[in-house]
Order: sequence, then structure tokens, then C-alpha cells
Amino acid sequence: MTIMEPRKHGSASDGLVGGRLSRFEGRMKITGAATYALEYPVEGVAHAVLVQSTIAAGRVTSIDTSAALAAPGVLLVLTPEDELGLMTASDWYGNRPENQPYFPLPREVSYNGQSIAAVVAESRELAVEAAKLLRIAYDEAPRVADLYDPAAGKGKLMENLSAGWGDAEAALAASPVRIEAEYSTPREYHVAMEPHGLTARWDGDRLTVWEPSQWTHGMQRNYAEWFGLPLENVQIVSPFIGGGFGSKGVALAYGAVAAAAARKLGRPVRLALTRPQNFTSYGGRAATRQTIALGATEDGVLQAIVHRGFNETSTYADVPEQTGAATPILYKVENFSSQSRVVPVNVVSPGALRGPGKNPSAFGIECAIEELAYKIGMDPLELRLKNYADHDYQSGKPWSTRRLREALTEGADAFGWSKRSHAPRSMREGRTLIGWGIGCGTFPVLRAPSAAMIRILGNGRVEVVSGAIDMGQGTYTILAQTASEAFGVPVEQIDVVLGDSRLPGSAIAGGSMLAGSITGAVHKTAAAARDELIGLALNDPMSPFRDTGANTLTVSEGRISVPSGEGLSLDLAELMAALGREEIEVTRNTLPDDAQGLTDQNNAWSSMARVQGPTMGDYSMHSWCAHFAEVRVDEDFGTVRVSRMVSAFDCGRLYNPKMVESQWRGGIIMGIGQALFEEGHVDGRNGRTVNNNVGDYLVPTNADIPDLQVISVGVPDYEASALGGKGVGEVGIVGVAPAIANAVFHATGKRIRDLPLTLEKLI
Amino acid sequence: MRDFSYSRAASLEDARQAILQPGAFVLAGGTTLLDLAKCGVTEPETVVDISHLAGLDAITVDEEGVTIGAIARMSAVADHPGVQAAFPAISESLSLAASAQLRNMATIGGNLLQRTRCAYFRDPAAFPACNKRVPGSGCSAIGGVTRNHAVLGVSDKCIASYPGDLAVALVAFDAVVDLGARQVTVEDFFLPYGDAPEQETVLRPGEVILGVKIRASAAGMKSTYLKVRDRQSYEFAAASAAVGLEFEEDGVTVRDIRVALGGVASKPWRARSVEQALIGKPLEAETVAWAARLAMDGAVSYSDNLYKIELAPRVITRAILTVGGLA
Amino acid sequence: MTRTLHLSLDINGRRHELDVEPRVTLLDALREHLALTGTKKGCDQGQCGACTCHVDGQRVLSCLTLAAQVEGRQITTIEGVAGPEGELHPVQAAFLEHDAFQCGYCTPGQIMSAVACIREGHAGSDDEIREYMSGNLCRCGAYNSIVAAVREAAEAAR
Repeated sequence: MTIMEPRKHGSASDGLVGGRLSRFEGRMKITGAATYALEYPVEGVAHAVLVQSTIAAGRVTSIDTSAALAAPGVLLVLTPEDELGLMTASDWYGNRPENQPYFPLPREVSYNGQSIAAVVAESRELAVEAAKLLRIAYDEAPRVADLYDPAAGKGKLMENLSAGWGDAEAALAASPVRIEAEYSTPREYHVAMEPHGLTARWDGDRLTVWEPSQWTHGMQRNYAEWFGLPLENVQIVSPFIGGGFGSKGVALAYGAVAAAAARKLGRPVRLALTRPQNFTSYGGRAATRQTIALGATEDGVLQAIVHRGFNETSTYADVPEQTGAATPILYKVENFSSQSRVVPVNVVSPGALRGPGKNPSAFGIECAIEELAYKIGMDPLELRLKNYADHDYQSGKPWSTRRLREALTEGADAFGWSKRSHAPRSMREGRTLIGWGIGCGTFPVLRAPSAAMIRILGNGRVEVVSGAIDMGQGTYTILAQTASEAFGVPVEQIDVVLGDSRLPGSAIAGGSMLAGSITGAVHKTAAAARDELIGLALNDPMSPFRDTGANTLTVSEGRISVPSGEGLSLDLAELMAALGREEIEVTRNTLPDDAQGLTDQNNAWSSMARVQGPTMGDYSMHSWCAHFAEVRVDEDFGTVRVSRMVSAFDCGRLYNPKMVESQWRGGIIMGIGQALFEEGHVDGRNGRTVNNNVGDYLVPTNADIPDLQVISVGVPDYEASALGGKGVGEVGIVGVAPAIANAVFHATGKRIRDLPLTLEKLI
Repeated sequence: MRDFSYSRAASLEDARQAILQPGAFVLAGGTTLLDLAKCGVTEPETVVDISHLAGLDAITVDEEGVTIGAIARMSAVADHPGVQAAFPAISESLSLAASAQLRNMATIGGNLLQRTRCAYFRDPAAFPACNKRVPGSGCSAIGGVTRNHAVLGVSDKCIASYPGDLAVALVAFDAVVDLGARQVTVEDFFLPYGDAPEQETVLRPGEVILGVKIRASAAGMKSTYLKVRDRQSYEFAAASAAVGLEFEEDGVTVRDIRVALGGVASKPWRARSVEQALIGKPLEAETVAWAARLAMDGAVSYSDNLYKIELAPRVITRAILTVGGLA
Repeated sequence: MTRTLHLSLDINGRRHELDVEPRVTLLDALREHLALTGTKKGCDQGQCGACTCHVDGQRVLSCLTLAAQVEGRQITTIEGVAGPEGELHPVQAAFLEHDAFQCGYCTPGQIMSAVACIREGHAGSDDEIREYMSGNLCRCGAYNSIVAAVREAAEAAR
């Protein structure tokens, strides 16, 4: 739990919702005072390191621990032999298998880099060296290294992800113009700058876990169920998270190992994954392949889309990376068919990485649409506008708001699209080929309930309290703004307390659902707190306002006053003193009235059971964007540099444009990395990711990124959220890679359909 | 890292004595030694810190040429106006390497001794077979992911590439490594792989690099270092070329030309065949492109790195045309 | 047990005494032994820049520096950048104003690198700033704002 001092720049309106308030917790981050999970001083901590498999499939037949146990400072070695007494926890939706033990260090090896042992010692250095002394014997089994392994097969059809309407095959066959191509994306990784890890401490049967978390209540449930504890006996502490991007949403095997080791040893245990271990201790984005066939008229009216997608998954869970997610909703099309399959390979179960599903899906459809544009000789912008979807053809519902047309046209204006020369290879400077391309993106609005607490303190300060987290999206900042506006106190007077599972429950910081959810809860709670304060001021026998005869009061700029006039006006501290109150605490949530029981609440904050998808109401609700990219390709070397980008977004109302623009740019930059560099290199012989470090798995550097112009074309969407915003975090990456691939085609005349666009594909 | 002892050398002689002990390593900038110690590739028993020794970091530029002390930092050499004037290629090779922080740490002597970035070499737990680490154990890279591996100077024992940039520029200009008792050209300092890839240099036990010397030349003054890579910055070369050029009085005919390659070979690779093909000829784009291909004679690819055989001559060509004023 | 060294390190103008194994890096000494956790561990192998601090005024990576190596040198970490009364360094103020960070984990390294970048004279143009700040990875993608902040602080320093 951390209490923030506010920072503010610019005009007074910056403190209200929609203002450009600087990052509320910023001072702590720029002075080194922000304490991340592994930095909490915990007395008597021992250090654990993981040992991971070096084969892709098989069994651990034995681990000789004698040398490691004899090494200096070693306290404990855990192997598959050790019975840790854990039970399997619920899945994402709150469903839990009965009586199923959980083995975080399993004997069966399902992928290279799977944790199979842990060594705990007095220092990390001692543990690392002792871990090298383990003698591990395996019984190896045949492996499937990746999607391209001859043994991979066609996988399993995911019926729930199939979609179709009209008669796509027939309409395709009847179309005068047809294109068909396969698009593929490789294994990609989150690479949050803060490596995963935790410190676990037991106090009797209470467990405290300091771990970076995108969802403190979800992870609290994971640990509680593993160890058979009541929820309230587990506390997750995570006020700062050094980046997550989808990787820090659930507790993972290493967490169970550290907590189990702490219990066995009777002292706190810290476990920090090494950077290479971050590549296999949780899954990144699954590799995907998809074929897309488009049928159209000669003048570019889409007649049919046929999509067939595959993604790799692990051998023990069917995790979809739905390449058909954006395909049905970007364009108007009367005949559509999409199927998705998962193909088990020996890899850690893939996870959610920024823009899951939509991202690789947009790479397919947005490349295909430009291929069609070039085939019929039409400007790709014109083709997109011509096939603009007036409603959601998949659900049949109207859009709540869809300003993709404005994103395309205003983005095009800002980019100077009208100056484009259509022919590939028609723009160059010396040996540098220049190309322009477009990629549209979308991400659904997911709605979830949240709770919040407002505390009015005797000193006049107002605390906003929530178990929600801030990993850089700006939760601290927008909640201060929301409370300021709803309560009527300046942001300087507000403290925001986040990132602890003991605090009121909230939606996960994932799927772009947190901001819309938690601002709604805080707005509701702050308004209730203001009303409660006014009620006390009017009715409490000790209140000076009793004598004014007023039947209502206002709260503004931190003062509570008789409306319109010269009457009594007190600041909050004065009123609290008069009332003789140290603290007033108000808690509200956005659950329906019939779901206010404790079990309902716990389920709501720790599972996805109450999350509502984009078409569960009367409308189809999504964020939208259009990216315009300029690339410069060295004709001789094949190197691609993005020299300019304009991106226009419809994300509804922006709670703080400064934070939003940072999020958009962040998504775009990750998309540039995905387009140009990012690819897990898998050794086909043993399924190992050999570039498991940030010197070899390349993410963009500062020098790779030009000035990125971002434009908001959204309008408030009150169907999507209480305050009118739609999600901003995920959508930014969606459509970037196809915009760049399309620009590379325009520059070079070479259509590269497999990411990333590395130089060997272009020379 | 395994437990090791740390000592600061009081003098060069002290350092030479200290590193004669088994398991002793010189520590200067630390950017290679500590990195490899963390990977478990190098397991020092003792590290002998020479980074405090006075007088070893001097950079001298005069009419004779350039002398650089072994523990001069990469950034100091890169930013030295005399080096920039006498050998632009050397300065550029340093500025384009690693990051500003690493260049402030890494020394010139240590940079020469930088070891390969072969992923198999760097991962002993998963890939026990590596002839560089354990002679005779085999090569895990052959048959694996080889996008960053060498195509020149490789053998069936090892295909790791030399990752550095500076040594490529030094080889082009016949730089000499000063080992105190003897002087060795940088080109001879590095050994071809052949049957013994664990032997990377001619450095003998107890020898410490004191510095490098580069004789001034007209080609040095008209030189460049061109580095091509996926990322714009902070990455090793996919292919690089150090080139220096001197014209005859006619301003067209090549009197002297130096070409060396990085990112594609087992050691800093002097491309003499390219030089020979161009000396005495007028500098023309087509001739250069033809000559540049000669550098790839004998190149061997293991599929993922096939592109390097196409890329490297283009890098050479562009670099030559750039210094020749034709690009 | 293992060998230990007694070190006396000059950090942010204060002397710190500690007993550590010779293999302990400056980064681990700061974070694990001296409670100076502002310096971050991102990769521990010289590839990300999160651990950047200054040794004798030069930016270096503390993950590839032994604590023993820097005895006798002046070390500055992010905790030593602001003024004695907590007044922000111009680079810090510019980072806040331009929103040059999101999660904040790479930020101390970015700021240490930026302070040095300006002092080195490598902040003359946006392209130069980009190149000389490329040793500090930021996965949240704050690069545009980092360039703007460094540019502003460099202009103010002229």
C-alpha cells in the first residue's frame, strides 16, 4: 500500500476528467522512490532460483541433489520428488476441477525451459551456483517443436471460435476478383522490463506475496486455492508493476514454488526469474498461420471472406490466439466463414499479449485487403471506405460508436495520403525505396464490475482506495481526476491507494477493461461520499451548517458551502473537526443489486465470470484505429526503417489524453517491433527458444522509432462505460504490423506475408 | 557466477604474474568477462583487475599514426578528434558498437578479446556440445538456428562468428597489437578456426595486451565503417565493412584500398582478393560490385545465414562507393 | 562459506560500508545490500540499460560492474540526482512534464543515461538523442517523450 503525493502541471482543468494532468505517481518513479515487488525489504529472506528443463518432451527420471545440498549456503532443493501439497486452482472463469493436485515442478516435461527444480540458499549468488550442481536425468520423448514441425498436424477445431453467415464458399467462387494467401506470425514475447518474480512470506497460515500483478484479487485466489487457504489469508502487494502487457495477470508455477519453499523453510523466500527464464516461465503470443481468401467485384465491393486460422498451443491446454477475431468486423461483407484451430506443440501454454487475437487477425485481413486493392488497381484507402461496415455483420447489431471512417479520413489528411503515388517502387531517394501503407485495428469493449472506497480524513484529505493496479496505464492519475471531479476537491487534496488485494476488488488490468470499469466505480463512490458528507453537514447536531437553514450544500474546490451566496463555507478539515470525525469511509461497487453477497463479490473480483463481451447488450462496442505508415527500405540491404507514422483512434472519451497518447504510442511501438524484429527462434531439434534474451530477441530501441503522430477522433460512448471511454491500451498495437507490411510492399513490390520483415526476406 | 577472488594489480608485471595462476582472468571493462561468467561459459577462480593501472589508457595521435592504450575506453577512442581525422573507420566502428554505457566501460584490449555471440556457445546448460567450450564435444550450432553465424573461415568444428566491430577496422589498416615482448598484427592475432576453435588468439599465458598501434595512411584518412543490422542501434552486425581508399593523382584510379568484413566470419576478415582486384583500376560502380563478390570465395552457409553471402558484398560495395564519392 | 570483501563505496556523496563476496555486482550491492533499489535490474546481462548509473560521472551498466571494481570511485544513482531539498533535476522535471515513462521501471536508467547524454554533448539533435539513448530499452514505448524531455533539458542546460 502506497500513498501518493499529487503532481500537477498546466491549467486547473487538468485535474478534471479529460484533463492532461501529469502522471500522479510520477515523482516516485523519476526519483527511484517507487518500490517494485522484489524491492520490499523483508527480514530474513532466502533466495530461490529455478532450474528449467533442457529437453522439450519426456520425463525427469532422477535429479541428484547431493552436490547442490552440500554447496555453501544452500537451504533447500525442491524437485518433482517433493510433495508440496498443492491443489489445482480455478481457471480464468472461476471453474475449478475437484480434488486435482497441482505440481508446479512436474515430472512430465512438456516444453524446453519448463521449471523442474528449485534451489534455495542464503543469497542469490549461492543459489545460482548450487543450481548448476544438480544432476538431472531424463527419459526423452518425441517432441513437436513448433507449428512447422512435420509432426504438428492440423490440430483441433475450436467450434466456439468459428463464425459464418451467408454462403462464403459459393460467393467466393462466383466473385469476379479473388485473392488468397497465407499470413503467419511467429512466437512473440512480452519482454516487460521488470522480470517476473516474488517474495513470499508466511505468518502462521497467512501468506503475503509481493509480486507484480495485473490483478491482485485474481492472484490472491490463485494462491489461496493452491494452498487451501481462505481468501482473506492471502495478501498480494503490487503497487507498482514494471510492465505487464498481459504477462502478469495470473499467478504462475514459480510463484507456487516460492511460496511452498517459504512454507517448508519457515522463512520468507524471494524468487527472481532470470531474463532467459522469462521466455519460458509463461507464454508469449502463440505463433499463428492463417489463410484468407477474398472475393470482390471488379470495382472493389467485397463479396466474401473465407478465413482459416491455426495457432500453436501447448500439449496441456488449448489456448486460442484467434486469428479470426478482427476478420468479421472490419468490413461490410454478406458472406463470411472463419474457422480457428489450435495445434499442440511442445511449448509453454501461450498467454495474452497486447491485442490478443485481434493483433494477428488484423495482420491477415489488413494485408489481404491491400492485396485486393493492388489487384484491382484501387487506392487502399478508397477500398476500405467503399466497404465500410455500417453495422456489425457478425452480431447483426448496430455499433455503439464507430468512428473508423473519421479515423481513416482524418488520419489520411494528417499523413498526406492524397500525395501518394500508387505504383509499387514508385517513390525513392537514391538507394532508399519509400512506401506507404495503411492498417486498421480494433479491440472489443469489455465491461466488468469494480468496487472502490473513498476515505475522507480528518486532515481534509480524500483517499481513493482500490485493489486495482497501475502498470503505467495511468490508473493513479485518472482515479485522482475522477474523484476530484465527482467529489469536488482539487487533485492536490487527493491520495490514491492501489495495488493490494486487501483493498476493494476491481477488474483485471487487461483486455483494456480496467479504466472504464474502475473510473465508473470511483465516480459512483466519490459521488456517494460527497452526498454522505453533505448529509452529515446538514443533519449532524454538531454541524455548523445546521444553523444556516440550508437544505442542500455544494462541494467545490475542496470547500463545502451553502449554495449561491455569501453563506457559510468550510474546508473539509474544518468540517471534519466540527463533526468530531477522524474519518468517513464510503464503499460502493458496480455489481447489480442481486449480486451483492460476499460470494458474488469475491467471484466478481477474482474471475472473469462477470465480464461482458462487446455484443452482450443491444450494441456492438469496440475501439477502432487506422494507422498510416511510411517506411524506408534500403534496396541493397533489405533493412526497413519506419520513418513516419500517423495513427487516428476512436477510443471514445479520453479520461486523460496525456496518458492515453502515451499508451497509444506504446502500442504502436510494440507493433513496430512485431513488424520488424520480434521472433522467437526455436531450435527444431529440442524446441528451445535460443534467442531467450533481449540482446537476441530484439525489441525496438529509441533509434528505431520516429515521431509518432496520434489523433483522437472518438466521441463519448456511454454504452461502453459510465464515463464514456472505450479501451485504449490494446488497440494501439492492432493494425500496425499490416500497415508496415503494406508500406514495405508499396516501397519494394515484395509482399512479405510472414512476420517479422527482416532483411533476408527483402534482399 | 562462481565464487572467485578479486585482486587489483599493482602493476603490469603484477598482473602478468597473477594471471599465470590457473583460472585467473584479467578484468578490465568487465563487459565480456562478467557476461560470460554469468552465462557459466567462463568460470574464473581469480579476477585480476587492471582497470586502475595508470598510463594504459593513453591515446596518442601523431604523424606516425595512432597508438591506443589497452584500457582506453571505447567511447574515449571513438570521440577522439585525432582518431576521427586519421581513421574515421576506427572511430565509426566504435560509435556503432554496443551502447553508450557499454562503450564507457569496455576497453580496447578487452574489445579485441570479445567472444562470439553464438547462442549455443552461450548456453552450456542446454547445449553441452561446443568445441569452443569443450574441445572435441561437437558443434551444437550446426543443424540449429544459424541466422547469426559465420559463412567465412568456418570449419565443421565451429561456425561461430566474431562479433566485434573495432577489430574489423583495425585489420583493414594493418594495426599491430602490442604485447610488450612482441608485436603481432591484428590479422595474425586472431586464429582461423580449423580444428581448434577453442584457440581464438595467439595470446600466451601471462601475456597482457598493452595497446594497439596503427600506422597513418592516406587510406585511413579516407575511410568508413558501414554496419548493417536489423535494428538501427544496439545490435551486432548482420554484415559490416571497414573500407579505406586512396586514389592516384587522377582522382579516379585506385592506388590503395583496404577492405575488411565483420559479422560474417570467424575472425575479423581482411578481404584481400577484393583489394587486389581493384588496385590500379578506375573506381566504377560495376567493377566494385564485381570485385566485392570475390570476398565470398569459399563461403559456407548453413541455410539460415545464406543471406549473408548476398548481403556482405553489397555492404562492401556501398562502403567503397561511399568513400569513393560515388554513393 | 565463501570469500568476502570489505568495501567502502562512495555513493551519492555518502560513504557506505559493506561486506560482500567479490562476485557481487554493483547492481546487486545497491539493491540487495544497500537498499538503494532505484537502480533497476532488467536483464542482468548488459542488454537493457535499466541498471545505468554513473561512475566518476560516466554512465555505465552496474550489472556488468563488480562492486569491488568501483571502490575509490564516485558513484551516482537515481537517488542522488535530485537536489538536497528534493528539487528535481531538470531532466527529471522534463520526464514528468513530457510523460516520458509509463511503468517507470526503465525510468531511473533512462534518466541517468539522459543526464550523461547531455553532459557528453550527445544531445545536439533528435537523431543524436535517439542514437545515444538507444542503450536504454523501454518496452512501454515512451521513446518520443524521452526524446522530447532530453531535448528540453539539453536546451535548458545551454
